[in-house]
Amino acid sequence: MVTGTLHDALDRAAAHGRDTRVDFPSEPASITLGDLADSTRVMARSLAAAGVGPGSLVGIFSQNAPEFLQALFAITRTGAAACPLPLPTAAWDLAGHAHRLARIVSVAGIRDVVVSSRFRGLASRFNGAVGDVAFVRAADLLAAAPPPGRLPLVDAAQTAIVQFTSGSTAAPKGVRLTHANTLAGIEAISEGIDLGRDGDGGGSWLPLFHDMGLFATLSAIMRNVPMTVWSPASFVKDPARWLRQFLASGATISPAPNFGYDQLVAAVPPGEVAELDMRHWRVAFNGAEPIALASVERFLEHFAPAGFAPEAMFPVYGMAEATLAVTFPPLGRPPVSVWVDRDLLANAGRVQRVPPEHPRARAVIAVGRPVRGVDLRISSPDAGELPADAQRVGEIEIHGDPVTSGYLLAEGTDDDTFTADGWLRTGDLGFHLGDDVFVTGRTKEMIIIHGTNFYPEDVEGIARDVPGVFKRRCVAVAGRAHDSDRDDGRGGHGWDAGPHGSDGTEVITLLAETSLDDPAARDRLAGDLRAQITGTLGLSDLAVCLVPPSTLPRTSSGKFQRLAIRERSWKPPL
Amino acid sequence: MSATHEQIVAVVTDIVTGELGLATGSVTPSTDLRSIEGADSVKVLRMISRIEQRFDVELEDEDVFGVSSVHDIALVVAKALIPDPS
Repeated sequence: MVTGTLHDALDRAAAHGRDTRVDFPSEPASITLGDLADSTRVMARSLAAAGVGPGSLVGIFSQNAPEFLQALFAITRTGAAACPLPLPTAAWDLAGHAHRLARIVSVAGIRDVVVSSRFRGLASRFNGAVGDVAFVRAADLLAAAPPPGRLPLVDAAQTAIVQFTSGSTAAPKGVRLTHANTLAGIEAISEGIDLGRDGDGGGSWLPLFHDMGLFATLSAIMRNVPMTVWSPASFVKDPARWLRQFLASGATISPAPNFGYDQLVAAVPPGEVAELDMRHWRVAFNGAEPIALASVERFLEHFAPAGFAPEAMFPVYGMAEATLAVTFPPLGRPPVSVWVDRDLLANAGRVQRVPPEHPRARAVIAVGRPVRGVDLRISSPDAGELPADAQRVGEIEIHGDPVTSGYLLAEGTDDDTFTADGWLRTGDLGFHLGDDVFVTGRTKEMIIIHGTNFYPEDVEGIARDVPGVFKRRCVAVAGRAHDSDRDDGRGGHGWDAGPHGSDGTEVITLLAETSLDDPAARDRLAGDLRAQITGTLGLSDLAVCLVPPSTLPRTSSGKFQRLAIRERSWKPPL
Repeated sequence: MSATHEQIVAVVTDIVTGELGLATGSVTPSTDLRSIEGADSVKVLRMISRIEQRFDVELEDEDVFGVSSVHDIALVVAKALIPDPS
């Protein structure tokens, strides 16, 4: 069992190397571990003087900046738990975002939010729409000159971080992670990549409010490894420039979702690759969304002239519930994949290997073995735990020190995440083959785009109220691209939606009833639906399908039969 | 530099149309960009980046949140083009 707290671990790291830096080039700003440790003691006393302490949950609303990390450690030092809040992205509807934050704040019982100086202005534009919370500037906590006093002793079993990355907007679920969970998770990540070798450095452009960005950064801090944290916008706006800066920083380790690797390939013309030196990049985590073999192969081929080592590409499986890491491949192994019969996999849950040129071949990438401290089993509803050689698909279940013991839920919501014997049902489908775990799809009605989870029920909730929708009747289903040429490891389970995202990513398909006949009016309705949903949820990978009134299948109780639609026993009348 | 609102709108429209791969004339100043299929956050940020390069300005994140039309973007650009009094 892990003992101690996140801030104890920071203090140990700072005692070991006060001058190790976390750099934020997009700010620009920088902080040493020594300053991070010292400043957060002051800030913690300011928070404590304001009534924050054990049992409190304090929000963090900050871009990637020293203030984010300062807020985090200051909060945990008081015995409270930190709750990183999502930031809006460009073109999001601010009112929609405020509504989303309001749900989180209400479920979590948050009263105080530490905000960065940059986001203070934005927070004030929420005008109370987020609920009865006080936004406190990190800089003010530091400048407040709080009365000297002792901070409470914090126990490893207390909650350190609550991550609201799980659950829909309508019914948010906060993953509760204790200090023991987080330290075990950080240890698992660090051991899995032998973090802290001579010359190691971390680099990330993921938002710190996202589990992958946060725990990558914390892992570097705890092992006294220099870390560089860019803004997500700096990567997305100019991936090639980011890559040059990353390589120049000397960093050896970086995390990104699959789409990030696609962006890099697209951004650097083949003729310019040889000018880059990628030989020192030793771990390129690929996780947080389904991994596509085609993306991985393209990346390796494209950047081979720059010396990118195939074994540096590191396809992983993880989630906030496990303090990030669940399985890692063995260090130093190039990506491994298998080709299986897509239909047998999707319809019978059977793993039948086929040659890559087989018409029903689908590639699935190996994500390795459970990391230190995590036990993993694959279970099916009828057969229970599947033996490792079962060649069958089941739901992945996990257990262990880094795994959450439960969620913060909206009142009246049930939590069926845990099995009777205490294992966490991940909602992900997968199988064992050899020593590896392979992830094939999801039992949950959810899609992941650019590392963010989206839920059909949230899409329905918005679409229902758009004028032109017949009697609020609509159904959204998680349907994914099933273009056979592109069926390359993004999962084969789910509704075989005809319409799909422009680059073969996962989509949600919205079916809405309407009595409109005029083509222009129908186009307008489809546009309105898209605008409302994109504006509120930030979801743009949406296919809209308008159907005549009273055609969506319903159960006797009037509920729409999402399952029937998903399993194609019902086709939209066009 | 003193671009008129109309000039800014014209340039922004051009970039938006190009980045989202739309037909010329399909975007008006008031088109809700979020209603365009495939206009995801990555493309929107790319678009903003092109606009920043063209006008040689840096748009504040805070201003970019909540923009939903060419007209909105043009206003944010115009604001960024005003010389800093300091």
